[in-house]
Amino acid sequence: MLVLPAIVYVTALSFYPSAEAVYQSFQTPNRHYVLTNYKELVSFGAYNAIYNTVIVTICALALQFFIAMVIATILTKEFRGKQFFQVSVLIPFSVATIVAVYAFSNVFVTPGGYADSLLEIFGLKPVGWTAYHNYWLNVLALIISDSWKNTPIVALILTAGMSTIPPEIYAAAKVDGAGPFSRFFRITIPNLSSYIAIAMIIRGISEFNIFAMALVLFPHVLLTTLAYGLYSETFLGLSYAASVVLLGFIVVFAIIVTVYRSRSQSR
Amino acid sequence: MINRSLTRISFYIVFAIIMIYTFFPLYVLILIAFTPPIHTPVASLHPTLYPSGFTLSSLLGAFAIPEIFAAFTKSLEVAFIVAGLALLIGVPAAYGLSRLHPKIANSISTLLFFANMLPSITIAIPISVTFLKLGLSETPIALALAQELIVLPLSVFFLLGAFQSVPKDLINQARVDGAGLFRTIFTIIVPLAKAGVAATFLLSWMLSWDEFTFAVFLSPAKPTLPILIYIYITRGSILDASAFSILVTVPVVVLVVILSRFLRGELLQGGING
Repeated sequence: MLVLPAIVYVTALSFYPSAEAVYQSFQTPNRHYVLTNYKELVSFGAYNAIYNTVIVTICALALQFFIAMVIATILTKEFRGKQFFQVSVLIPFSVATIVAVYAFSNVFVTPGGYADSLLEIFGLKPVGWTAYHNYWLNVLALIISDSWKNTPIVALILTAGMSTIPPEIYAAAKVDGAGPFSRFFRITIPNLSSYIAIAMIIRGISEFNIFAMALVLFPHVLLTTLAYGLYSETFLGLSYAASVVLLGFIVVFAIIVTVYRSRSQSR
Repeated sequence: MINRSLTRISFYIVFAIIMIYTFFPLYVLILIAFTPPIHTPVASLHPTLYPSGFTLSSLLGAFAIPEIFAAFTKSLEVAFIVAGLALLIGVPAAYGLSRLHPKIANSISTLLFFANMLPSITIAIPISVTFLKLGLSETPIALALAQELIVLPLSVFFLLGAFQSVPKDLINQARVDGAGLFRTIFTIIVPLAKAGVAATFLLSWMLSWDEFTFAVFLSPAKPTLPILIYIYITRGSILDASAFSILVTVPVVVLVVILSRFLRGELLQGGING
């Protein structure tokens, strides 16, 4: 009974509007149940948006899990300044997304950002981080900024996971002659799988939703920025269609991760 | 021996890289706010990486803009409504889930998770249309209701994790002794799971303080602080945006540093076991 308000709440404010978005996306001002919106979406760069969204999501997740794994590994060790390190890596988590992207937009602004100043110190030429034609540099700038903000939550989860692995296993593996790499892949990763699944759910989903960052920093369209642009510039049906494409991706991703999660639990 | 000191050195290199990555953007933020504009990207193609000069004029100029106080109050209002609502709905829900059969509880929490996964943009567009029709657009309560969607499922998970650490016997004892449902919750469970409840409140507050997507759709004319910053960035008023950014950041960073011992991965246990 006590759970009911929560269920009613999410149903009324999330499932119902999503259903409405799906329904509306098939309507135009004068015709009903048609694919017109989706066909028109293509001319607004829908394919590019899908491609960019997938690329950014994959790259950003890879970078975040890599850094988070490094942080979590460092935190399993004892060293001077550990407390300081632990609190410091949390700080970006508390900085608002828009502030993070504001800071990074000044780092990567072309021409004359701080990243270029940094490169000049090492005697390198400035590169156009956010110039439209440097696609992969644009992606790099975006995922560096996004990871700055979002790695802490992944690191937090993985650190909690690492602390559940008994150190005896590592010691035993070391005696049996396992090197650092095989220890990492044979012990750390399998034991962390349920934690990785949780982090994947939380981050993966929001990665598809990356919005404020891309709006300021990324000169290409993502599904989210496309939906926003269409919302403010054209009529509703189109932006519904764009957001429904995004919804489709997320549902597929969510199902994959949920299956992975339940499998890692039953093992 | 050489091998060991090599590991040590590489350890400190990695350590240093992570620290630089963490603090560099914050440093940039402060640099822009306090150095004369001539040395920042505002007016220079070669911004200096060290503080060359000191000025308060950028900050003072920005704080003279009247919009900033409206935005600040609105952000505060919304964040407190969201965090309060998260506990109001989340505490009973988490308690209910902790008492239900694990199978049923699990399917309910999966349902909540799915709600959390739906993209904000997909929800924000129809909601903003509905709120416009209802005349609720631009009000703090409308924005808070929408943001609660992101916050509530997570709050329930955190609270569930916190409640699971409360011994079941104690709860049964209280019920046997005649304590009502709500009395049990508020005099036994919440005090025992204090740290978890506090952390949930804090996290909800922060998520709302930071939230952008719903805010930009639901409240474009009377913006919250993040939206105000966005508006000023797109206008090209970099200096004002930097002052606003500092205003947004400082309270939260202070909070997190003070309360960092509550923010641990164990909070997510509820989601992992549940």
